[in-house]
Parts: sequence; C-alpha cells; structure tokens
Amino acid sequence: MQPLFRVLYCSRTATAGGPDTHIADILSVARRRNAADGITGGLMFSRGCFAQVLEGPIEVVMETFERIQQDERHSDVTVLQVGPIAARDFPAWSMAYAGANDADDPTEGLETGFTGHASGGQELLDLLRAVIVREDDRLQLT
Amino acid sequence: MDLTTEPMAMTGSARRAPGSAHLLALLDRARAGIVTVDRAQAILAVNRPLGELLRIPAAAVADAVWLADLLDGSAMLTEALAHEVDAALRGSIADGQPRTIAIVRGHGNEARFLALHVTPLADATWALTFEDTTERHAAEATAVNSALHDPLTGLLNRRLFQVQAVAALEARQARIVTVHVDGPPDHGSQAVLLIDLDRFKSVNDTLGHAVGDSLLGLVSKRLRGIARADDVIARLGGDEFAILAAAAPDRAGLASFAGRLVDVIGRPYLVDGHLVNIGASIGLALAPQDGDTYDKLLRNADLALYDAKASGRSTFRFFHAEMDDRAAARRSLEIDLRKALALQEFELAYQPQIDLDTKAVVGFEALLRWRHPTRGVVSPAEFIPMAEEIGLIVPLGEWVLREACREAARWPDSVMVAVNISPLQFEDLPRLLDAVARSLRHADLPGRRLEIEITEGALLCNEQGVLAALNRLRAMDVRVAMDDFGTGYSSLSQLRSFPFDKIKIDRSFVTDTGDLASQNAFIRAINALGASLGMSTIAEGVETEEQLARIRAEGCTSVQGFLFSRPVGPEQVDSVLAGFTQSRLSIPSA
Repeated sequence: MQPLFRVLYCSRTATAGGPDTHIADILSVARRRNAADGITGGLMFSRGCFAQVLEGPIEVVMETFERIQQDERHSDVTVLQVGPIAARDFPAWSMAYAGANDADDPTEGLETGFTGHASGGQELLDLLRAVIVREDDRLQLT
Repeated sequence: MDLTTEPMAMTGSARRAPGSAHLLALLDRARAGIVTVDRAQAILAVNRPLGELLRIPAAAVADAVWLADLLDGSAMLTEALAHEVDAALRGSIADGQPRTIAIVRGHGNEARFLALHVTPLADATWALTFEDTTERHAAEATAVNSALHDPLTGLLNRRLFQVQAVAALEARQARIVTVHVDGPPDHGSQAVLLIDLDRFKSVNDTLGHAVGDSLLGLVSKRLRGIARADDVIARLGGDEFAILAAAAPDRAGLASFAGRLVDVIGRPYLVDGHLVNIGASIGLALAPQDGDTYDKLLRNADLALYDAKASGRSTFRFFHAEMDDRAAARRSLEIDLRKALALQEFELAYQPQIDLDTKAVVGFEALLRWRHPTRGVVSPAEFIPMAEEIGLIVPLGEWVLREACREAARWPDSVMVAVNISPLQFEDLPRLLDAVARSLRHADLPGRRLEIEITEGALLCNEQGVLAALNRLRAMDVRVAMDDFGTGYSSLSQLRSFPFDKIKIDRSFVTDTGDLASQNAFIRAINALGASLGMSTIAEGVETEEQLARIRAEGCTSVQGFLFSRPVGPEQVDSVLAGFTQSRLSIPSA
C-alpha cells in the first residue's frame, strides 16, 4: 500500500469568460479516469476557473497531476497545498459548480453538489470555494 | 573454431568416414552450423547445429546429397538467399579465396542475421560456416542508439540532433531548387528553438540530483506532448533542450508554439512528492532568413535565448540582427576585460562612512573602477556581471583586497576599509581565506581594520560552508557586514545565522521615491533589529539633508553617500579625513 498523498490546486480555463462546452467532457473523463486510478477528491469550478483536490496513492496522484499540467485547456495553475496525508478527506469523488452566478451553470444535467466528503474536508472545500468565487469575481471585473 | 587448421576433420562425410566421429562430435558442439562440400558441391560432412540454424528438418539433412538439397530444405533461407550462398561458394571454388557474406532474413525486431564464411580447405574441399549474429547486431544497434540518444529522457542527443537538422536543412534547399523550376517557390521554413530551464540548478542543489533527473524526464514528456509529430526534439545537455521544427509555420504560428512551451514547461511539477517550480526561456532562429547552416542557426538561436534570459526569463525571443551587434559588443568588452587586470586599468575609489554621533570618518568603502583607454570609465554594473560570468571576478576580487589593505595601512588606526566580496569568491572558501590572510599580512594591516561586505547571495548556496568561513574571518578579527539588506528573500533568517558586525540598509530605503512612511517604518525596524542583535547599521546612498534627517530620526548609527563625499581617489583620502576632523562638513544635529 503506497502512502496517501494530496494536492490541491486551482487554475483558469483557457477560454475564460463564457460557458465552456469542454467542461462536461473534462468532468466525465476526469470522473472515469480517477475512479479507475483510485483517485478521489473534488472539483469545484466556475465559468472561469477550476479548483481541485486530488487524493490517492502518491505515484498515481503525481501521474494524474502531471497529466493535468499537460492539458492546455487550462492554465495558470497554482498549487495551494501538497503533501502526504494520513487518511482521505474525500473518500468519494464529487464536483460542484461554484460560480458567482448560478443561472449560467454550464453543467446543467450533470450531477453537482459536494456530497462525498468527510467532515475534515469541509475546510478544504471552503478554501476551494473562496478561491473560485474570488477568481470569478476578478475575471468579471477585467 | 578455426577450420583451416583442422583440414583433416572434414576429409570424410559423417556417413562415409565414421573414423572421424570424435572430431565430428566436437563439431556438433560448435555454435556455428558447418557443412563441408567438394568441388561439385556434394556434401562431405554436416554438423548438427547447421540443421537447427537453417531450420532444416533432420530427415532432410540426412537425405541431402548436394548442398542445393540442404539449402532447398531450409525454412530460414529464401530462394534469393540460397542463391547468394551458392554464388559465394562458386566464387571461392573459382579463385580459391575465402568469402564472407551477411544474410538478413525478416525486418525490424523479427530480423535474423547470419554470417556465412566460405573457407577453402586442403584437398579441394570447402567449408561453409553459418553463424547466428542476431544478438550481436541487436547489441550493436543498442550501442548506436545509446550513443545517439540521451539515456535520461530518451530524446535525441546533441550529435543526432545535429545530423537530423543538417539533413533537414539540406532537404529544404533541394526542395526549393526543384520547386523553382515548375511551380511557385516553397516558402516553408524551418526553425530551431533552444530551450533552457530557469532555476533548474537550484532544484538540483536543494532537492538533489535524483529529483533533478526525474524533473528532466517530466520536462521531456511535456515537450513531446506539445511538439508536433515531425518536430525533432533533443536534449543538448544539462537543462538545455532543442526542437527542430521541420516544417515551421509562419512567425505567428511559431510564436504561439513557443508561448505554449513557455506556459506548459513553466507549470508546477510534482516530483517524488516535492512541488517544483521552474521556467523555460526560449530562443528561436529561422531558416533560411536567420541562417541556412546548422551552426549559424544554432548560434543565432543561442543569441535569442540569451536575450530571452536577459529580459527576465520565462519568455521567448526570435533572433534579430541587433542581437548580433550586442553579442559583438559583449565579446569586445570581454576581450578588453580579460586584459584589464594585467594592464592595470582597474583602480579603487574610497567613499567615507561617517559615524553620526561622533561625526568622524570611521571607514571607507573601497569601490572598484575600470578606466579603459578608449571606453573611458566603465560602470561596474556593466563589467562586474561579465567578470562573474567569465570567472575573472576571483582574481579581480583578490586584487581589490590586496590593494584596499595596502592603502588602508597608510590611514589612521581608527579608520577601517570595507571590501565587497562576490558570492562567486565564496565558492572557493580556502582560496578566499588565504587571500584575506595574505592581504592583511602583506599590508601589515590588523584584521580589525578590514570589513568584508557580503550579500545574501553568498549565503544561499552553501550556507554551512560560508558560515564556517565567516567564523574563520572573525577569528582573524576581520569584521563582516551584510550588504544590500532588505532586498533579498531571506535576509532575516540570515541575520539569525551569523552575528554580523554591521547591517548595510539598502539604498532603495533611503531614496525619497515611493511611500516615505513605509520606507521609514522599514528603516526603523531594521535599526531596532540591529540594536537588539548588537549589530550597527549604516545607510548608504544618502544624498540630501532631508534623507539624512529621516535616517537619523529612525535611528541609523552611521551613513555613507554623496551628501558627505563622493568616492575619491586614494590621494584624496587624506584631505577627506582632514575635512571631517576640522568639521568643515556640517552634519545636522538630531
């Protein structure tokens, strides 16, 4: 059993601003791959940015992270937290739309809402939400 | 097995000469397949490995009378290959000379390689020896491969990159010639991109070479991910990569390609659980406009890379002609700089440091000047970075130490001399310590009258070693000052790691530009810190009465700047000292 590892990062979608038709693709691929790799976590996104927690065996988290880095559909990746963990805060995989304006939710029809997290994950979730909402506001201003 | 020394072994066939069974048994253990024939190509003897090697059924071997029967029965030899064997034997029969031919069956990984030696023996018999050389070929192929590829990343190495780039450039030239004849000219150009990683050395230094190597592997994967299929990617060495874009798009397309490379290579990496941030600087040169030979293209891409790094790194630059001019200027500066020490073109100027309480000169900072016969006085900002780049800084720094100590020995006993030491001089600690000790000894100057000024850059790489050296200097009574304080990242922690005698507050806190209130707060905080750590503080770059009043009010103990005196030549030091003694220069009271 490899030691567990977590990375938390945020990034911008390459086409910041309008609803991105790629989002549904990204989400479904991420969900499928992560389940197969033993990766759990959460993805929170708005129209302009992503914030994601990845938890799992260290090698797989590193591989997944590297794959994400090579994806040119997003950029400006900032790692907020990284390191070994004793247990998963997100035993399941979930995702949520946390945009400033929910009327424009581009994921209509997708499962949304963060449900699969342990109580310890609340702090991380709050961090993700804070980052996402702040970035989204900033993008709307510029 | 050397058959020529054992002609008797093959004088009878296995079937006709049972007396030589002993020798035939020996031949059966050979790894090569052997058959002997007479002038008419009738089989005299066959060893067992031959059937296995050529994949001939045992019954067919037993029944074969003529060599042709054997070859026909081989699942290994095609008709064409059998013909080549036959031709080699006929040749040897005709002229009595041995023959060796290589036989290849199949392609790629499936290929089998055989070597056939046809050897004339005594009494008109010939031996055909088949050897399986497949493994040897594979080993040679691997050796060739590893000689041309970078083992760490699997990318091409510098040599193979050159070969492929030269071939691509020649192909382009050929294409243009033919296209000119029967169509519009082909404007498709090629580009060389030189990619250099920013901050890679510090990854190696802080996290170790294993992490550095893994990082290079990840970088090469990201390069492969972005490049197109016909781009040639190589690791030229260290943290330098190159891409040959064989059918380069236009400038805008290349700019977007380079921009994507800078973006993706500059994204964070997770290596062995460590978060690693590096950047990429890229120089581009296009064929044919920037050069139509490999050497010229690479050189110009290198100049563009230099420019990308000089303009702040993590960016890309196309080559343009002015870079050539700048490179020529740099080269000429370098040539002059290398001679300057020998030609005694360097001189020292001394700027007084004044104690605000006693209003006395407590020391002079020795400042290096280069007076060139045609360039005039060259700014240290211009030549010090180059002196560091070409390694001249070490002997130059030693000259400064020697010269400053020699001058200071003439001054009053209460006046010190402060000498700047480059971070590069700290890379050879024994040499630095030796230079300090010898300078003091030759000048007969007590250690307490020499002050070494170091920037935090010196402490960044080898902190333990540098701290040990500072303690050795301290043991010689030499004083140590932290220069440019407040501009780096880790100044505070460094103050904790060594008991500096003095903190030099960076001039950026002294100038009136910017937010005065926050500058004052910084000066106040540094002074308070110095006072509690038992370190004196000096503000440099003081030019106006207003600045002096502020600095005094915030608690600085000493100052240096144009307000009191410009740096002066050694011959003027006495008059500066005399001036202060007579209090000709007014220092406002606090």
